[in-house]
Amino acid sequence: MSATLFWIAIGFALWLLGLHGLLTLRHALRRIIAINLMGSGVFLVMIALAARHDPSDPLLVALVVTGLVVAVSATALALRLSSALATSKEHER
Amino acid sequence: MSWHAFLPMAIVLSSLLPGLVIFGLREDQQRLRVTLNLLGVTLKLLLVGSMLYGVSQGSEYRFSVPLLPGVPLVLQADALALLFVALSSLLWALTTVYAIGYLEDSPLRSRFFGYFSLCVSATVGLALAGNLVSFLLFYELLTLATFPLVVHRGTPESLRAGRVYLAYTVGGGTLVLMGVALLHSLAGTPDFQAAGYLLEQVDEHDMALRVAFALLILGLGVKAALIPLHGWLPQAMVAPAPVSALLHAVAVVKAGAFGIVRVVYDVFGAEALMQLDLTKPLLWLAAGTILYGSLRALQQRELKKRLAYSTISQVSYVTLGVALLGPIAAVGGLVHLVHQGLMKVTLFYCAGNFAETLGIHRIREMDGVGRRMPWTMTAFSIGALGMIGIPPIAGFISKWTLGLGALEVGQDWVLLVLLGSALLNATALSPLGWSQLIVEREFAI
Amino acid sequence: MNAALVSLLLPLAGALLLILLRPARSGRWVIALSLGALVAAIMALQVVLDHGERNLLVGGWEAGLAIRFRLTPLAALLLVFTAGLHLLVALYTARIAHAAGKEDYWALSCLLHAALAALWLSADLFNLYVTLELLSLVAVALVSLAGRKAWKPALNYLLLSLAGSLAYLLGVALIYGRYGVLDLALLAQLTEADGVTHLALLLMTLGLMLKAALWPLHLWLPPAHAAAPTAVSALLSALVVKGPLYILWLIWSEIAPVEFGRDAGLLFGTAGVLALLAGGWSALRAPRLKTLVAYSTVAQLGYALLALGLLLLLHLNEPRLHAALWLFVLAHGLAKVSMFLAAGELQSILGSKRVTGMRGASQNVPIALAAFAVAGGSLVGLPPSGGFLAKWLLLQPLFERPQHWPWAVGVLLGTLMSAAYVFRVVAHGFDRARPNPPSIRPDRLAQWLALLPALLVWGLALISEPLLLWLGGLGR
Repeated sequence: MSATLFWIAIGFALWLLGLHGLLTLRHALRRIIAINLMGSGVFLVMIALAARHDPSDPLLVALVVTGLVVAVSATALALRLSSALATSKEHER
Repeated sequence: MSWHAFLPMAIVLSSLLPGLVIFGLREDQQRLRVTLNLLGVTLKLLLVGSMLYGVSQGSEYRFSVPLLPGVPLVLQADALALLFVALSSLLWALTTVYAIGYLEDSPLRSRFFGYFSLCVSATVGLALAGNLVSFLLFYELLTLATFPLVVHRGTPESLRAGRVYLAYTVGGGTLVLMGVALLHSLAGTPDFQAAGYLLEQVDEHDMALRVAFALLILGLGVKAALIPLHGWLPQAMVAPAPVSALLHAVAVVKAGAFGIVRVVYDVFGAEALMQLDLTKPLLWLAAGTILYGSLRALQQRELKKRLAYSTISQVSYVTLGVALLGPIAAVGGLVHLVHQGLMKVTLFYCAGNFAETLGIHRIREMDGVGRRMPWTMTAFSIGALGMIGIPPIAGFISKWTLGLGALEVGQDWVLLVLLGSALLNATALSPLGWSQLIVEREFAI
Repeated sequence: MNAALVSLLLPLAGALLLILLRPARSGRWVIALSLGALVAAIMALQVVLDHGERNLLVGGWEAGLAIRFRLTPLAALLLVFTAGLHLLVALYTARIAHAAGKEDYWALSCLLHAALAALWLSADLFNLYVTLELLSLVAVALVSLAGRKAWKPALNYLLLSLAGSLAYLLGVALIYGRYGVLDLALLAQLTEADGVTHLALLLMTLGLMLKAALWPLHLWLPPAHAAAPTAVSALLSALVVKGPLYILWLIWSEIAPVEFGRDAGLLFGTAGVLALLAGGWSALRAPRLKTLVAYSTVAQLGYALLALGLLLLLHLNEPRLHAALWLFVLAHGLAKVSMFLAAGELQSILGSKRVTGMRGASQNVPIALAAFAVAGGSLVGLPPSGGFLAKWLLLQPLFERPQHWPWAVGVLLGTLMSAAYVFRVVAHGFDRARPNPPSIRPDRLAQWLALLPALLVWGLALISEPLLLWLGGLGR
């Protein structure tokens, strides 16, 4: 199988793993990691598609960078929320 | 906009606007409220009178604004509209005066009269409605305006009755909406026409037309209390007497019956219905309701409940007249619409008086009341006799005409129904006239 | 186009300035900003009606590479809609401070407005992704303003929302990999019915359905909307879920190949009817008032789904169904704002969050109850409200084709369900036997502000002619 298809399959697998984790895990931090795994899966697919050309498709690279920025911001928000939740749970005990 | 275009809408507004103002009044602003009420009443009577005069001189009145694509909101003054509008306005005037007295010192009168006015505006609106969608609009508004009146007392029984009322009427309204939308997809929604506008569609779309007719009649039949859709009516007796009077004589029940008249004559038309074979089921339903209502009335011990079942029976006379499809029968049905309104209003006023003054709710308790409240009892007796159909009281004329109409179209069995019902009514209502006059009794009030 | 950009940039700039400067009376500034945005949006609507669709290629790059902003009549109308609702909610929140939760509400609501404006104007798949993410993050932040009890639903909302975005993004990546363009107009000519496109569309659809809380992917919505502060709930139900819905509609009406239409249409239609029934049933059984209103949103979105499904089943040949879909959106937005604001008023004045706590509201808090009832009337579809107009336009194409009549049964049942849960609340309001006395003094102006959107939605059918014109050139 071609390299592109291989990496796209890996990307898909990561995405599915992340989704599975999100839906089955209970712990907030693990779910956040699962989401990041999904994100990485999508980015891998995009990079695999970008790598089909030589030099790599700049549009896709730009999309990946944008996606990374969004992922970082979202993760930051998620971490803040989950830590606030954890702290408040501790206070309740 | 010319006066001829605006007058129908003015008639609706003459009770709507005072009603909205009354909502804002405080409880203690008694005089202002009564003034507004009476002002609205007088204004409406004047406007209706001027419309009647204008039509007799040959004028045409039509109000039209765009509402939906291809369907304007139309209010116009044809013969049926004038009949119902005049009846409603007159009965509203009487009921308003009655209610002002009945509810003296009752709580939340501003709210009551506000909704009361909305109710009448909706009734007048649907009387004047010139096409099915306009009719539907006011029909649904009527449901909404009457609910707060049914639950006015705020007790658990009122709320229960109110929920039942809503379940039936909103369900019925939705069925009517479906029927109207279906008809629109077939033939558009033109103004009501004298012999209906669906005749051309019969060959192509007979299935769809039958479904539409069923939807419409079922939906309208809820308000018109056709069996088996009548369940809300006896429950709604928990409302104060002016509400019962209004609901049973003027607004809700008549709106349903009026709607059936419109659908049969001005939408489908006699010819189309005969080709579609739809009148037989309607006829049977009407006849069944007449007998059922009269029978159940006999079983009731409470006065208002007995009057309620009597209404169920009586309003179906109108449906019967319409379903017979002959011109004489139609006249009989329509005349009965008016007469039943007047008589039922009288009976409910009296029932309300009995309840308020002497605490009478059951028929047994009425023994000897003729001595304590002779005027009320006389009125009651006249109303009762009219219900039974004794000449020369109004009820007799309409029943006679209905009988003639039945003979005219060859449905002789209907005569038996009419006779049977008259006998049942006599049994149900005459004890109410007799013992009350003769028996002496102490009243614990 | 400039007016539309002003409508986008005003709230954006305003948000940034509010965060940086933190002025004392943020509320007044936001009211002024949203008013300005509204005026600009109305001007944009005027322009697009006179001169037709406008495009803007950001940065001067050529098509295919540049980010394209597109102004259609629908987009302009949605800009007006967003600015209008933002203004209405801002007016209410300026009066009732606790409806917002915290002061941060003001800046965040402006960001929300900007994100939505950018979404309506976007015309390529990736830009839509970016605006979608911005929208979601701001929405989550807004939900968490309610304090501790809202954090758990907010986190859940965030995680599921991100999952949806990532599904959408994967779909976008596949589309780009297959066709090499992201622009909607270019894609419309290129798409074919092959396996990759099918997978991509599936992924995008699932992601968007999750974000728009379309049945059966709606479970995150009721807790989040119920826990959020009142003003936030109003904005969420009325506006935020409509963004993903817009993208879903764009994808299926502009770029999806016709061959997929039948299956997709059937799925959407079924999901729509089930949303109506399941959402309505849950609303009927919800013990808390705001949960009831949140489930009502799930149910009402079923109408939009049904319209979309029918649109696809009829091969996009029915302009009336486009109009019906967007009328549902508009009418629902106005009605929901009114409903949530009224619910907030009722809850705070009567001191109870439960539906049964609304006893006696008709005498103690009459205007708020009236707002709830009038708004509910549009949701039920009583004439002449906007909801009725939308339902009418949905039913007409249905009835013209006898093979589609079963869908009408779904609409019938949905109507009855909506009536049931609306009247459930209203009936409690009329319970005078043991009324719930007011805990605080009712504020009349606030209640009138809650009533205002409901009155507007009832007047919608009266302006049906111009409205249908704006929704895509549907004349009489």
